[in-house]
Amino acid sequence: MNVIEVKNLTKTYKDFKAVDDVSFTVEEGIIFGMLGPNGAGKTTTIECAAGLKKPDSGQVRILDMDALRVGKKLYDFVGVQLQETSYQDKIKVKELCDFFASMYENSSDYEPLLARFNLTAKKNNYMTQLSGGEKQKVAIILALIANPKVVFLDELTTGLDPQARREMWAYIKELKAEGRTVFMTTHYMEEAEFLCDQICLIDVGKIVITDTVEGVIEHAKLETEVRFKAGKEAADYLRGNLSEVRAVEYTEGFVKVFSEKEDIITDIILLLNGKHIAYKQIDIHRPGLEDAFLKLTGKAWRD
Amino acid sequence: MKLLLKTISVEWKMNIRNFLNIFFSLIFPVMMLLLFGSMYGNEPSEYYQGYGSVDVSTAGYLCMIIAVSGLMTLPITLSQYREKKILKRYMATPIKPFDILLSQLVVNAGVTAVGSGLLIIIGIIVFDLKFYGNLLYVIPAVILIMLAIFSIGLLIAGIAPNSKAALAITYVIYFPMLFLSGATLPLDFMPDVVVTISKALPLTYGGELLNGLWVGGTPGTYLTERFVLLGVFVVFAGLSIKTFKWE
Ligand SMILES: Nc1ncnc2c1ncn2[C@@H]1O[C@H](COP(=O)(O)OP(=O)(O)OP(=O)(O)O)[C@@H](O)[C@H]1O
Ligand SMILES: [Mg+2]
Repeated sequence: MNVIEVKNLTKTYKDFKAVDDVSFTVEEGIIFGMLGPNGAGKTTTIECAAGLKKPDSGQVRILDMDALRVGKKLYDFVGVQLQETSYQDKIKVKELCDFFASMYENSSDYEPLLARFNLTAKKNNYMTQLSGGEKQKVAIILALIANPKVVFLDELTTGLDPQARREMWAYIKELKAEGRTVFMTTHYMEEAEFLCDQICLIDVGKIVITDTVEGVIEHAKLETEVRFKAGKEAADYLRGNLSEVRAVEYTEGFVKVFSEKEDIITDIILLLNGKHIAYKQIDIHRPGLEDAFLKLTGKAWRD
Repeated sequence: MKLLLKTISVEWKMNIRNFLNIFFSLIFPVMMLLLFGSMYGNEPSEYYQGYGSVDVSTAGYLCMIIAVSGLMTLPITLSQYREKKILKRYMATPIKPFDILLSQLVVNAGVTAVGSGLLIIIGIIVFDLKFYGNLLYVIPAVILIMLAIFSIGLLIAGIAPNSKAALAITYVIYFPMLFLSGATLPLDFMPDVVVTISKALPLTYGGELLNGLWVGGTPGTYLTERFVLLGVFVVFAGLSIKTFKWE
């Protein structure tokens, strides 16, 4: 079942098209990740999809509700963490959680959530006394107090240290295990590779591709590079006998093979072993999401 | 309804934890009362038609408290909430936008009530302040003045592009209203040009009305004042509902 359906979404600021005819669907229970460079239109898309911004045109259905028209009922089922929010200067963590809990009929208890993120000791702190990472943790707690079926997370892990980021990843996986659907945006490739069942690449307001991580990498038609130490005769022999390679190079005692075939290494080893040619120190560079991203958007990555 | 009450209680806490709000709504008016009261006393005087100076100034101080809440606290708080995306975060919750505005109005009305109570109690204790009016006239008048002044504040909150602009606008409006409307300084001593300006300030009409009722006047005498205040409320409340920007 599709939990989120976005159709032909377009949003213009003055005369600048921030989101241009974007369509995608998100199945129940998956983690859907939207990736794209700064200004690509991720926040605009997520805010339209979460019913917070009126698009110029297009439809958004969430859990079979018309998200742009259903009104406040949507937020009984949908939890949101916005990329930019701050809080009242003089509100305490506990008061904020308590306030949000009071908004929902069947809210989840926030004490275990605070404990889960090691914030119990800070619950009497003012929000202004929390570190950036701690504020992000409160932001996700607030998104989850509604006990939502669908969770929108806009750059949740930006600004977290590597340890906290991994904690957050584990938590997002838990959300999925609980059967919730997650729509997230991120700038971190490892994060997308680790978490997302589906990836949607967006650039200058247009979707470049929506697919699984493997699908996106495959689609980019990137080459695997195999490098090993061997004599020149190895390079010559492979050049003559390997199929589906783009190039075989030899420099300073190293052979390099470039191929779109992902398991080219098997062919190389079989050939070399068959001919009793010696080799050592094999290195394989498999293309990752980042390479795919760079190729597909033709853009340098931000970080 | 439960949620509205909760919102009001949260916003109440936020408001009273802000020292500037407390100072301007509770402490500053009392300081003015003590200062001018100690200068002129509250003996019945020919000059004030037999009333004491404090008796005829209290209504002005009450208007001042209303103006602080409505023209400073209200627009500054709301424009900060918008700038910090707090309003936007609330949009993604079951709270109705109107309830957020309503809770701000209620909280500021509450602070006004507390400030007024404090001022009146201190006036009674220190200067033997006397009330000659009818509460059934005075309370509706106070509510009318609040509606007019708060709706101006709401419009400022709604259209100010950011909290700095809101602050600038409130200063430009609040301080002239404070000193030129007769709320704090009697207009009788003022040059003609100030009197003319004061006619353009809604608070002037609030001060006239409340002062008149305080010393025993009846609403019938103050038709113009009531009409102006009602007009201000209708126009500004309408405009602010039409133009309020949530982000
Ligand atoms: N309120 C606005 N008014 C005018 N332009 C806007 C507004 N909000 C966003 N934009 C523009 O729309 C484009 C998309 O913005 P958006 O915030 O959706 O990007 P993003 O993909 O979330 O970027 P980032 O990774 O930096 O968060 C940007 O070029 C931005 O400058
Ligand atoms: Mg963004």
